[in-house]
Formats: sequence, structure tokens, C-alpha cells
Amino acid sequence: MSIYDFTVKTKRGEDKSLSDYRGKVLLIVNTASKCGFTPQFEELQKLYDAYKARGFEILGFPCNQFAGQEPGSNDEVQQFCKLNYGVTFTIFAKGDVRGETAQPLFKYLTAQKKFAGFDMNHPIAALLLDALQKNFPEYLAGDGIKWNFTKFLIDRNGEVVARFEPTTTPASIAKDIEQLL
Amino acid sequence: MVKVYSFDGCPWCDKVKKYLTARGVEYEVRDIEENADFAAECEKISGDLTVPVTTIDGKNFVLGFDKRKIDELLATA
Repeated sequence: MSIYDFTVKTKRGEDKSLSDYRGKVLLIVNTASKCGFTPQFEELQKLYDAYKARGFEILGFPCNQFAGQEPGSNDEVQQFCKLNYGVTFTIFAKGDVRGETAQPLFKYLTAQKKFAGFDMNHPIAALLLDALQKNFPEYLAGDGIKWNFTKFLIDRNGEVVARFEPTTTPASIAKDIEQLL
Repeated sequence: MVKVYSFDGCPWCDKVKKYLTARGVEYEVRDIEENADFAAECEKISGDLTVPVTTIDGKNFVLGFDKRKIDELLATA
């Protein structure tokens, strides 16, 4: 079993085999929310612009499972959302990424790389943890996806080499990508 | 008529809609993800594709879920 055995749905509902990405370095992200962690969209685009010529792809999987569940509702979180126009990396069809209804790809990814905690130095980490503990304690248990913008790094052989939580910014993983290119 | 520019999956948009409903204010939802014309209108009003944008006349608007500002906007109607 490898990442290349999975087939996912494009935005238009067509099947796309991940074996089409054989030999590339991939970053697989559950993007969905255009709120809260929105800066990550811009940072992901920067990574894509910087490395796509060297065989790097970002695969975004929108998911509504965390919609309406913004961490906190105070001034620390912006109270508006931005449409993700201008993103040129691939965005696939909306689908679930955690729980029973999760897409098989995400069940595989979370089994390969387990949850190792949030980076509590990230400005939103405390809010996120608090919101999860209060409202969705079950999300914190196990290795399932905790929130939007969980990132999985795949090497050129299809090996899942790293998992980065929402509290790790895309900019800070540039060095990890470079190592694989 | 109050117009709320929004898109599906935007929690702040939902909050604005719920707040308007609770106040008994009628409003029209304009989805900027589904409709390119609405997206262009939204960008013209606020200068960006950020939502929720609440407006009555297409000139004065409130960006985000800000009850006080929404109350002020409604008071001008």
C-alpha cells in the first residue's frame, strides 16, 4: 500500500489517481476553511511558486468539518473570511478528512504519521487547544486530523515523511521541502 | 433591502445572517463563490473578496461580524 494506490476526486468530480504524481515531492493539505488560518493559503502559494519548477506539488483538499468552529470568537481572531482566489496549486473536491466518513487517503495519512501535539509557540495554538477541549474533546483523542491546514509531506518515492499540524506555518517547512527536492 | 455578501462555509457570514434574522431584518444573501457578478460587486464595495460584507446601498458597508457597526448601518436605513 502506498500513496500512489489512492484515487481522489477533482473539483469537477472526475477521478484522479495519485500515481500521476509519482516522482514528485508532495504536500497534502486539508484546506477548506478560508477563515482563521487564512494566511496559510498565501504562504502555501509562496512555497508552490518557489518550488514547483523543481517537481513540487501542493494538493489541497477542502473540508467543511471544521467550518463554523473557529477557535475563539474574540478580537484575536479576524471575524471575516477571504475567498481563496489566486491560489494556483491543485484544489480537489470537498470531502471529509476525519472520522468514519474520512476519505481513505486521509485515513492512510493519519495512520502513517501520528499526531505529535501542537506547536504551542504559534499565536493561535492556545485558542485552538482551548476551543477543541471545550467543544470537541473527541477531536483531540487519537491521530485524526485536528483542524484545517494539517500538512503531510511526501517524498519522491511516495513515502509519507512528515506531518505538520495547523500550528506549523507553511513558511517554516520550506527547509523540509528543499531537503527532498 | 439589506444584502449580505458571503459564501458557504464562512462562519462569520452565518453569524451575521443569524443576527439579522434575530433582529427581524429581511436580507438577501449574495454568494460570491457561486456567482461571479456578486463577487465583482463585493470587490467593488469593499475592495476585496473578504466576507461577510453587509450593505444596504452598496456604498456604506460593514466588513465582518461586528454587531455595533451592523446596528449603526441599520439605523441609517
